[in-house]
Amino acid sequence: MRTIRFTAVVLLSCASLAGAQQPDSAARSRQRADSIAKAVRDSIALMKELGAGLAAPSGAAAPGSGNVGPQSGPANPRLLPDISAVGDLVGDLSPRGSTQADRSRFGVREVELAVQSVVDPYFRGDVFLGISDVEKISIEQAFLTTTSLPNELELRIGRFLMPFGKQNLTHRHDLHTIEYPYVIQRLLSDDGLKGTGLWGSRVFAPFGFYQEVQVTAIDRLSRPVDSLHTAEDVNRSLGGLGFSARLRNYVDLSESQNVELSFSALTGKRERALGQSYLVSVEQPTGQFVPTDVNAIVARQTTYGADLTYRWRPLQQGLYQSFILQSEVMRQVNERVDDLVAPCANCATVSIAERARDYTGAYVFARYQTTQRTFLGARYDWLQNPENDGRTLNAGSVYLEWYPSEFSKLMAGYEGLSNSGDRLVNRLLVQAVFSLGPHKPHPF
Amino acid sequence: MIRRFALLLLAGVLAIAPHAAEAQLKVVTSTTDLYDIAKEVGGDRITAAHIGEGYQDPHFIEAKPSFVLQLRNADVWAFVGLDLEIGWMPLLLDGARNPKIRQGGAGYLDASTAIRVLDRPNGNVDRSMGDVHTQGNPHYWLDPENGRRIARLFQSRFSQLDPANAATYASNERAFEARLNAAEKGWQADLAAIRGKPVVAWHTSWRYFAEYNGMNIVAFMEPKPGVPPSPSHLYEVIQTVKRTGAKAIVMEPFYDRKVADLVAKQTGIKVLILPPSVGGVRGITDYIQLMQYDMAQLAAAVR
Repeated sequence: MRTIRFTAVVLLSCASLAGAQQPDSAARSRQRADSIAKAVRDSIALMKELGAGLAAPSGAAAPGSGNVGPQSGPANPRLLPDISAVGDLVGDLSPRGSTQADRSRFGVREVELAVQSVVDPYFRGDVFLGISDVEKISIEQAFLTTTSLPNELELRIGRFLMPFGKQNLTHRHDLHTIEYPYVIQRLLSDDGLKGTGLWGSRVFAPFGFYQEVQVTAIDRLSRPVDSLHTAEDVNRSLGGLGFSARLRNYVDLSESQNVELSFSALTGKRERALGQSYLVSVEQPTGQFVPTDVNAIVARQTTYGADLTYRWRPLQQGLYQSFILQSEVMRQVNERVDDLVAPCANCATVSIAERARDYTGAYVFARYQTTQRTFLGARYDWLQNPENDGRTLNAGSVYLEWYPSEFSKLMAGYEGLSNSGDRLVNRLLVQAVFSLGPHKPHPF
Repeated sequence: MIRRFALLLLAGVLAIAPHAAEAQLKVVTSTTDLYDIAKEVGGDRITAAHIGEGYQDPHFIEAKPSFVLQLRNADVWAFVGLDLEIGWMPLLLDGARNPKIRQGGAGYLDASTAIRVLDRPNGNVDRSMGDVHTQGNPHYWLDPENGRRIARLFQSRFSQLDPANAATYASNERAFEARLNAAEKGWQADLAAIRGKPVVAWHTSWRYFAEYNGMNIVAFMEPKPGVPPSPSHLYEVIQTVKRTGAKAIVMEPFYDRKVADLVAKQTGIKVLILPPSVGGVRGITDYIQLMQYDMAQLAAAVR
């Protein structure tokens, strides 16, 4: 009873509060109606004035020398998407022969076609097709991004560059080096790790600086390899899908300096080649078990990473001076598998001598702007190379980058590469990149 | 339980009421000039912030994540338009995830829709012409008439979004125009000194300024918009300066002065660093001061 009485008092208080404000509210309503009417009158007056201005240019403006914005019509009346192309040409002038996979001295590494547009009030769409002699035409990225979710949420559906580390999110042609750092090439993918699935992210700032969390769930960690046959699909269970998370932390140190420190993790199952084939029973989509040769196992792979980027660019002289220092470190942890278990109740378990180890790698990169169009860069790579039983790879490289304009880039690079103390391999690479059409700017 | 709920309800009502009364429009602008005019019109009924600084090239602002934090809660995003911000604005608007300020949102305010556009190219356009703006020259705020038009645009949009304060916005806008008109009368002598005088400009950013004050731009230091001067182009500029008797090279503080000094050394022309925006040099803190300063400096250089 007391509770009901209290509630009634609260409601009455609210009502009386509202009632006490009523005369005020009525006055405000009138004032508001007047304001709206005035705003409408002012808007009409403005439009009339603009129209008059168009008809008879005033003052110093020369007759016919300009058009008022709204009278000019939409810039894209047919709602065409932005279509652009980027050509990425690489030459390998290394003294002991080409070090490219196809042994070419000059090649078109890739042509990227991009089609980008807002889809409707809720989504934008981005499609990037990669065309190369090796892969022919491939879907590099194709994703739908939400544009109107609340609470700084963003969802992405489709194929995208995985948000793991800093440089993996940059298209290869837009790097400030000719190739990705070795730690990305060997622990993630030669041309940047991509995934197909869902991406969610949220921006927040509880400590007064920019933070963003990015999570993904993707179909599988790696592209399927035709020559590898496993007893089960990597994504047979939901736990076999790929999952990643990244936390970005960005701080302005001053108006010309900033730093970003981010942490990433990525896990999922993928095929791992065995030294030999084994005959096991493999379940078919029909439910039957059929003896099959398998030469790979499905094992979990988890990669952790941290990246740090420091940037300096004075605002006033920013056209001519800038400096970036960047580093990433990654550790890949591979699941040890002792037995190859066939997925049938009566099948024998086959013991395998599967060798698995973990790998660590890192790079440090610096780039200094010397003139409006010229940059000098250097990178040092260190990696326990998975392609060489974890033996150490060291590489040092220097780059000269020249931008004739914002839409073309010429680069020359020298790299000294040492694989576990073997003889130093000298690599001399040149690159030309050109961009046609309205290519959307790349992320900061 | 009900009692606790009632208490929470009461606390909620009391907590929300004062905030609702104090709510201000949050306005973020791309440049300091738009920021200042927005503050003139909005007064204490808005909070305002700007992305670029007056001494920075507005074409090449970095889309830093810290700007995203400013934009994510903004009610109005006002920008110069005509592709001035094309290199960085899409990233910030995507990053902000704020539907109010995306294209089509009530807070998306392209200031170029209110002004008379110069240099809109006709016929085929391609990048052999340099960093050409296909919709026209975006450096329009350096004509006071466009300053007035921007102020009226702000007044209209603020009133639409915040009708309760429409009268204040209208009154502030009138006061701004009155101050600008008065200042304009004060620089008539400068205008007379400038009109018809030959000058060299670094970039096409001074075209509206020239349209207003009548200075005669006889050459640009850039051979094409956004393209740095080549030796052969500098030779042509030097010949033009000698032929026309140009009095000053007008340039922004963010370009490389050494190149202009080279031309000055060959010809005796003055190098005049003029702020293109509010805050471009120390002490220039509002739009009217900016116009006064630029007009006075140019007049002194060409007299």
